[in-house]
Amino acid sequence: MALIEARTPAELSPPPQQTKQLGIFARPVETTGWKSWLFTVDHKKVGILYGVASMFFFVVGGSEALLIRTQLARPGGKLLSAALYNQVFTMHGITLVFLVVMPMMAALANFLLPLQIGARDVAFPRLNAFSFWCYLFGGLFLNSAWFLGGGADGGWFNYAPNSSVTFSPGHGIDFYALGLLIAGIASTVSAVNLIITVINMRAPGMTWMRLPVFTWMTLVTQFLLVFSLPVITVALFLLMFDRLFGSNFFNASLGGDPLLWQHLFWIFGHPEVYIMILPAFGITSELIPTFSRKPIFGYPFMVASGIAIGFMGFGVWAHHMFASGMGPVAVTAFSVSTMFIAVPTGVKILNWLATVYGGRLRMTTSMCFALGLVSMFTIGGLSGVTHALAPADTQQTDTYYIVAHFHYVLFGGSIFGVLGGYYFWWPKFFGHMLDEKIGKWHFWLTLIGMNLTFGPMHMLGLQGMSRRIFSYSDGQGFDLWNLVATIGAFTIAVSLLVFFYNCWVSYRRHKANPQDPGPDPWDARSLEWSVPSPVPEHNFDEIPQIEEFDDFWHRKYGHDENGRPVKIADAADVAQKGDATGVHLPSPSYWPIVLAAGLPFIAYGLIFNLVWAAIGALLVIVSIWGWVIEPSTAPHAEHPGEQQHEPEPEGDGGETATTAGELEEATVD
Amino acid sequence: MASTTPDRSHTRGYVIAGVLTALMVVGTLLLLRNITDVAGHPLNTLRPLGDQARKIDDLVVPVFAVAGIVFVLVEGGVIFLIARFRRRSDDADGEGDPVQIHGNSSLEWAWTAVPALILAVIAAFNVAAIWDLEGDAQNAEMNVEVVGQQWWWEFRYDTNEDGKPDVITANQLVIPADTTVGVNIRSNDVIHSFWIPTLNGKRDAVPGRVHKIALHADKPGIYEGQCTEYCGLSHGYMRMQVKALTKADYEKWLDNQLDGPVEPKADTPAAEGKAIFNTKCASCHQIDGYDTSGAPTASGEPDPEYGGADHPLVSGNAPNLTHLMSRDHFAGGMFPLYDSYDEGAARTSAMPSGDPSQGELGDWLRDPPGKKPMASDRARGMPNLNLSEDEIDKLVAYLTTLK
Repeated sequence: MALIEARTPAELSPPPQQTKQLGIFARPVETTGWKSWLFTVDHKKVGILYGVASMFFFVVGGSEALLIRTQLARPGGKLLSAALYNQVFTMHGITLVFLVVMPMMAALANFLLPLQIGARDVAFPRLNAFSFWCYLFGGLFLNSAWFLGGGADGGWFNYAPNSSVTFSPGHGIDFYALGLLIAGIASTVSAVNLIITVINMRAPGMTWMRLPVFTWMTLVTQFLLVFSLPVITVALFLLMFDRLFGSNFFNASLGGDPLLWQHLFWIFGHPEVYIMILPAFGITSELIPTFSRKPIFGYPFMVASGIAIGFMGFGVWAHHMFASGMGPVAVTAFSVSTMFIAVPTGVKILNWLATVYGGRLRMTTSMCFALGLVSMFTIGGLSGVTHALAPADTQQTDTYYIVAHFHYVLFGGSIFGVLGGYYFWWPKFFGHMLDEKIGKWHFWLTLIGMNLTFGPMHMLGLQGMSRRIFSYSDGQGFDLWNLVATIGAFTIAVSLLVFFYNCWVSYRRHKANPQDPGPDPWDARSLEWSVPSPVPEHNFDEIPQIEEFDDFWHRKYGHDENGRPVKIADAADVAQKGDATGVHLPSPSYWPIVLAAGLPFIAYGLIFNLVWAAIGALLVIVSIWGWVIEPSTAPHAEHPGEQQHEPEPEGDGGETATTAGELEEATVD
Repeated sequence: MASTTPDRSHTRGYVIAGVLTALMVVGTLLLLRNITDVAGHPLNTLRPLGDQARKIDDLVVPVFAVAGIVFVLVEGGVIFLIARFRRRSDDADGEGDPVQIHGNSSLEWAWTAVPALILAVIAAFNVAAIWDLEGDAQNAEMNVEVVGQQWWWEFRYDTNEDGKPDVITANQLVIPADTTVGVNIRSNDVIHSFWIPTLNGKRDAVPGRVHKIALHADKPGIYEGQCTEYCGLSHGYMRMQVKALTKADYEKWLDNQLDGPVEPKADTPAAEGKAIFNTKCASCHQIDGYDTSGAPTASGEPDPEYGGADHPLVSGNAPNLTHLMSRDHFAGGMFPLYDSYDEGAARTSAMPSGDPSQGELGDWLRDPPGKKPMASDRARGMPNLNLSEDEIDKLVAYLTTLK
């Protein structure tokens, strides 16, 4: 049940306790064990699920990258056939974009957004769980193509008419269209949910200009998703109709237009780039101030530049099409608009550097990744300016120069941001720290690996190596740098293993010798550090009253006449204890996972046999029905140790949350 | 602005930062020292050998320079900031905490405005270059039609301007040097991209559309190219070349192309090879003056719809072989037609002469999909015809006569 629904008068006067509830329409009650994960609606558990699933797909997509790099290590590589290579690079792109980077951001957004705004959950907890299962099942569905005739082979951009049945008669591209539609449902639902959460559920006093930058950037991202996903959805429907039902939207010989696909794809595809990078900018804007012990430099500029990037991101899509022959007027317009999107991005870089300037830098692994992002993203941004020039782009597009560019942005930007964030928020997730020493190894291997892999691609591209070629020849001059790039790719693989080793070792150490990291191990600034680690299920004992930006920091520190911080309280004293009782939380539900499970059946049915679609449809209808009529709470859903269940709406985290009852419960001493 | 404890020396940090930055700059320059080498990198985008590529190069090189300066400033800045402001192991908690500065509006407006101004200047040159290149294409001295298909390029010349092509060749586009040639790019199936990096940027071949760019080679020579829009299975092996000839050589080449095919002498292996060609190859490969069954036609002219008329979006046809040996490569620019060239008859003469690569042609006929991935079961690419060794020898004998 949505938390904000709990405000309705009906909720305030609960219905009389039913003596008997119909089996499956009761709510699950498990709080531990595997069932607690399958049926959870807790935003923190959903966030962790996103994180784990995206790591799984990272391994899948990373393995595909290793296959690509092994094939290209030497001229005339024979590891993969051309047909298989085309599937592998296509699935690598789709996996990394839709099943790794986006859900990594979703993991952090889900976990942190309610905590950063002082809420107890997202606005629609069941929808949140549904988003995750949709994403997971969509991703598994996409990858199941490997076992059912081969993956998509049209590239992640999947240009028409190469994507038609004539040119790609296998089922790979059907899996692409339907899988992305399912994953698109996940992202759309999640975006609506998070937007409503941030708009409606901020703690009292958490005004727009007091929101943490990560929350701001994630919010902008959700708006990008809401406005761009419908476009790719339309495009995928057109593609599906062309492939499954013989329509001709993209068939030039019957009056269709292949460029229609390109425009639709990139109207989505370019905002998608910012969808993947803006949350990483947000993470960096949390890490750098914390580890510099200074507030973010120019908060209004940071927020405004993020919004500007999001807004301008919708006006530059055709820079992916400078070679497509759309005419010099369109080329001029998009070339100029693209150049100026560098301005707000540059502002961010300079503001981060200004934050660092004069600071007291603690070079933790998180900080290394954050400064790594600043350094690596700058390289990607600068190469981006060179292909904003349309004439130069006609030399660069579809070469490895572009591959270098977007990997510096996506790996050096998004992935660096997420890894930095993981080291930072790990105690909040799991109640223990990651090992810093192994973390440094992880960072340096990642940094060296990525520069070895993607740095040489600049040279390869400028010297004329095209993208998406399954092999090259002696005498084209591509041998050396390809070999270096392959060595780099395996270095990145090792760095990822080091990260997994770190997760395992740190967990074992914590099990053997538990050490409470405390609520605030980094001496950090935002609200999530004012609750215990790991975060208790109800997040906040009491919804905090926000007085200023970086509120939690200012509860710990005042400042002297020179503007230097002076400690006024220990974190442990101002943090919440996490021992509140009687907090009303949404109950788990069976239906999000069941509803999401129905969608791949429908998709299989459209590809193979409509019987499967009927089964899927039945599942969807039944679970929507179950979703609607299931009781709003589980029987006896009280918390352990609770004396008396009070059905007051304290769980909604909205402006009205600070009731008299809660103030009495306040645990600050 | 802020300073930490005043009694501390930062010399060591500055030295480390300076050395690291210098290493980064020197290392990058060392790595880039051969970047414009064209001999070892025939597709190099940074060594223009024609007018259009040079205009692009002139636009982008100063931008690379500006980007290089920003790169050094930012990366050097990060290194400097870390060296200068990092907390050392002997620092005590809370000691020397920084002044809490929240921003500086004039500074921030400045670093918004200055990059915007720099970009505005670059944008002006950019827009001028876009329209300059467009003008080149519209003011071409002659035109050639380029047709992309899976996975090779066809070139059509209409020398008498009657709207019908008089010469159809494949994989090697021959143009006169020092002449602005307009290239009208079309596609027969999926999207391809025509790209000769040393002469001009790329332009997509999109079904249902004609896109025009200009090529202007400074000097006679061979300029390598590669299809750069992903076009399915054998995209990686879809290559082409531009051969620029002196104007006199170009006329010689054109005269030869306008002639009909060489007829093999009777009772030679080549004549037997022609008979095999007519039964096994002619349904896809055209020799001017013959129809798809190998019978002579009335006109003797090349047929632009040969073999592919029924499938406007699927390339059912194959390269025109009338003057096969006037080219250097076959099968989408992949394999050489000559092992060596005769003295004085360099690759850039009107007609290459020398030792034909019998072995390459023979290998190809033995198993085409084994040499280059193709979807021959779907009418795209050459199937394995299961020819006998005898048939292969005779076909090679015939094909190598097609000068």
